[in-house]
Amino acid sequence: MTDSPAIVAEGLVKRYPVVRGFRDLVLKPFDRRRVTALDGLDLEVGRGRVFCLLGPNGAGKTTLIKVLSTLVLPDGGRAWVNGHDVAREPGPAKSSVGYAVADERSFYWRLTGRQNLEFFASLHGLRGAGRGRRVAELLRLAGLEDEADLRFNSYSTGMRQMLAFARALLAEASILLVDEPTRSLDPRAADRTRSFLRDELARRQGRTVLWATHDLGEAVDFADDIAVISRGRIRLAGPAASLAAGGRAALRVAYERSVEETGRRP
Amino acid sequence: MTLAVLGAFLRRDLREALTYKFSFVFSLVGIVLSSATFYFVAKLVPPSTPSLGPYGGSYFSFAVVGVAFAGLLVTFQQGLATVVRSAQLSGTLEALLVTPVPVPVILFGSSLYQLFFQAFRTALHIGVAFALFGLAFGRVNAAGVLVIGLLTVVCFLSVGVLSASFILVYKTGNPFGWILGTVSGLLGGVVFPVSLLPPWIRWTSSLLPVTYALDGMRKSLLASVVFSKVLPDVAALAIFDVLLVPLSLLAFRLAVRKAKRDGSLSHY
Repeated sequence: MTDSPAIVAEGLVKRYPVVRGFRDLVLKPFDRRRVTALDGLDLEVGRGRVFCLLGPNGAGKTTLIKVLSTLVLPDGGRAWVNGHDVAREPGPAKSSVGYAVADERSFYWRLTGRQNLEFFASLHGLRGAGRGRRVAELLRLAGLEDEADLRFNSYSTGMRQMLAFARALLAEASILLVDEPTRSLDPRAADRTRSFLRDELARRQGRTVLWATHDLGEAVDFADDIAVISRGRIRLAGPAASLAAGGRAALRVAYERSVEETGRRP
Repeated sequence: MTLAVLGAFLRRDLREALTYKFSFVFSLVGIVLSSATFYFVAKLVPPSTPSLGPYGGSYFSFAVVGVAFAGLLVTFQQGLATVVRSAQLSGTLEALLVTPVPVPVILFGSSLYQLFFQAFRTALHIGVAFALFGLAFGRVNAAGVLVIGLLTVVCFLSVGVLSASFILVYKTGNPFGWILGTVSGLLGGVVFPVSLLPPWIRWTSSLLPVTYALDGMRKSLLASVVFSKVLPDVAALAIFDVLLVPLSLLAFRLAVRKAKRDGSLSHY
């Protein structure tokens, strides 16, 4: 188990139905157009690694993360987290991953940071004093001890992001899925977030971090492994050190091609 | 596990509700005003009105019980759909769905506070009408109240699950809530007896569960009837339950699966 990969995807396919207007529904009622988000994607993520999924918007990163967190069912192929098939064993699969839902609207704004974490801790089966201890520990880890009893609506964007990580860690999941965690952060908060993910969660705690980003520099500087994703397929993958060697040329070409292909998408 | 999770949902919603300091006060004022309105309208309706006979004869009591319980039933039938819609809009649905809690428990837990609060409002409504405006109970048939109440809760929660299934897939619209919410006000006997409806439309009220729920509840609370007199209402509600429970559970399972396939669980 310890040597087996944390995440495996084989031939993963996801096609979303195209949302149609009233006119199309009337004129072409049997038209079942779909847009391909994942197109036979293969992936393997080793344990305890920081794995950056690099690609522009629309490349398939978020869909992959949602499939791995059981929010979206794949149309084809299979995926496993900690050996659990995400489609066939959604319960154990869910318990294996912490998905840091980055949307700040995913919290209860009129409750405090502590109350928010206590609520989600209860949903993860934590009770009584154990729950209080775990919540306090995570607030400390996220650097939010002093703001724990302030309402969530008074938090800065960076604090909200850290609370999202704390929530994702409630279940002690060994795999953390993060979707563009630095997207709306200022440079200082972004650096703090990157260090937290790599140094604290991966290096110190030994968790596997699957990190979706469109920032090539971020991927090169913080990841152990990088995979460039384009139109739902992995185009290039390997250890960050070797991909970044020689002025990052191969990586840059793959990423630019990904940007171009995604832009051309029908 | 499930009880503790439901408790967590209740605690969350109570904490949120307490941050809105005036909503409870305004809700209480609304109840008093509603009771006062029906108190004065009732003065226009003579106690000997034949259509009120089966319910104890007082229009005030008839209307207060109808309005108080209809509010509760609307919450049961629309509450689940409302919480799904609200979680879609507020963005909390995705965060809830990645926890190990089963989707039906999330749904029920999210609506629990609303259901308790509305039940409290119903009791308060009747209490205010009794204390301030002289609502007259008959010899209360406790077994009738209990059985009718239980069957009604199951029936309206099933409609609520159907509504939530619709909202999960289509996001808005909710025809079940509309049909039962809007039509029930007119045809279900909420503020006037269905016997006053013209015969050509009266039959439609027999298709609505609210008709039997309110008929049975009023007879049990106001008209001093024995249990056998509410058996037709009990039988009708039981038939609704037998049909709606499996249908709603199936619809919900299919809706969650479709939303996961379409990737639209948290879309709005």
